[in-house]
Amino acid sequence: MKKRKAVKKKGKKSLKEAKASKLFGSPLKVINIGLDVFYQALKEQGAEAVQVSWKPPVKLEKEYKNILDKIL
Amino acid sequence: MSVTRSVIRKNFYRDSIQLLKISEEAKKLPGVLDAAVVMGTETNKEILEKLGLLTREARVSSENDMVISLRAESEEASVDVMKKIEEILMKPPAAERAFYSLDAALEAMPDANLAIVSIPGEHAREVVLPLLERGVNVHLFSDHVPVADELELKKIAREKGLLVMGPGAGTSIINNVAVAFADVVNRGPIGIVAAAGTGLQEVSVLVSQAGLGVSQAIGVGGGDVKKAVGGIMTLDGIKALEADPETRIVTLVSKPPDTQVQAAIMDYIKTKCKKGYVTCFVGGETIPIGKDLKKRIRQTRTLHAAALESIRAVDEVKYKKAMRVISLEPDALRRMADKTCGKLGKGQRYLRGLYTGGTLAYETMILLKETIGDIYSNAPLDKKLILADPYKSFQNTVVDLGEEEYTKGRAHPMMDPTVRRIRLIGEASDPEVALIAMDFVLGYGSHADPVGAHAEAIQNAQKTAGEDGRYLPILAHVCGTDKDPQNLASQVERLERLGAMVLPTNALMALLAWIIVERGEVKDSTLDQAYDRYLAAV
Repeated sequence: MKKRKAVKKKGKKSLKEAKASKLFGSPLKVINIGLDVFYQALKEQGAEAVQVSWKPPVKLEKEYKNILDKIL
Repeated sequence: MSVTRSVIRKNFYRDSIQLLKISEEAKKLPGVLDAAVVMGTETNKEILEKLGLLTREARVSSENDMVISLRAESEEASVDVMKKIEEILMKPPAAERAFYSLDAALEAMPDANLAIVSIPGEHAREVVLPLLERGVNVHLFSDHVPVADELELKKIAREKGLLVMGPGAGTSIINNVAVAFADVVNRGPIGIVAAAGTGLQEVSVLVSQAGLGVSQAIGVGGGDVKKAVGGIMTLDGIKALEADPETRIVTLVSKPPDTQVQAAIMDYIKTKCKKGYVTCFVGGETIPIGKDLKKRIRQTRTLHAAALESIRAVDEVKYKKAMRVISLEPDALRRMADKTCGKLGKGQRYLRGLYTGGTLAYETMILLKETIGDIYSNAPLDKKLILADPYKSFQNTVVDLGEEEYTKGRAHPMMDPTVRRIRLIGEASDPEVALIAMDFVLGYGSHADPVGAHAEAIQNAQKTAGEDGRYLPILAHVCGTDKDPQNLASQVERLERLGAMVLPTNALMALLAWIIVERGEVKDSTLDQAYDRYLAAV
């Protein structure tokens, strides 16, 4: 039983290492969330990238939130 | 007669870099004398006041409001310009393919292997979690991420075999692509794991200037080596580089880690690693290492020494070249100082370091603490030396202009020179100032022409001092490469034309500043001792 556990653990570790080296070995495919300047820099370097224009979630005033909670 | 006016847009958000761009565009509009478009944070109000743009309306704005302030040639021009600024504000985002949700972006790029996240820190967790679920590595640029969130995200990443680089990671270089604030360097055998952004930049550019290169540079954020996080990503970064066939030497760069974390890192590289290591815990303790390991693990105290030792560990020939390209002997420093000291007036006693790079400012304070003594700062080594007013220097002062007190709601000073320009003129009017030291950090993310953006301010500073009968030495270090969009050689040349003394590394600039402040009266033996302590391996 003990032996089987050890084998399983070893397999998991090598999978993790494989993932890290996968990033290093493959062309970068980047999702940039936030500052547009980083997206532009990636494009200038020829890296494949997409931009997500992030906005803070709308903060509802408590009164409106209560009303919405009742309706929804 | 000029007119100053503001328009406040309640609860209207744009990020600081978009606002910087809009401000720059606004300044170029006909009839505009000066303009600033900012969120109404306290820091921004302070800057608006110094620029003469803080109107009554702007004074009462909140940090959720956008402030458009301008000084125009006439009332009529101010109305026209305000309309044009509003038009610029309404332009859609520059990205040709911008998504408005993460899900949509993941659908468009299902095999994404890296995400860069630069949103307010309190929202980072909700964005990073789904990325990790989808197996995407993350470079988390955001500051102010709660420590509990950082720990949770890093533990999940570790479990999944992914990297979470950050929070607060300014720089990474992955597969030779500059991520966030990073330089364009040669690809090569040196891997870097850094909990210090400009520290990573300095080491990577110096290695590249010497003709070597970087395999991967993993920025983990300053919080990673603190006790609460325990160096999770530093250790995972080491593991990843240890397994990377391209990496021959691993260089670790950080401000002093927590003692236990440092011990764990050192223990790991001593017992679990096979490759060569160069450690640079700037301002931290070095630890005793057995003779058998001294060749494999080299400890250094500055970024300069870390770069040189990394090069030496790979290639002795390139090391000799590096000694010529990125280093200067003590005699050369002394000669530079001698040329300057004679021109200083009696009352000129203090240095002022105006830094955009946090690690560079820190390194300078470490070097000067043991040579000059007390260095005041907004981010001092010793709490007793904190500046009472971050906008006012006292005796020997080094400021890190990238810290929150100067940047809340503003772009970083590597992008936006406004705060440093104001500071430079202020320092030049102080008759006790003996020299000004400045860093110019190139690379992606930084200003398109940092030296050009300061040229007028440098000339005005020299003029201000000159009119008062003083010579004002300006020391500069440019952290960059010739492959950077700004080009190292042309930035250095411009600085030299402006009369600045340009040093190849930040550590050398700090040593030169010390000799000048001491008026050249530093014994040869004392200089040699400091030189050996900081610029060679331990």
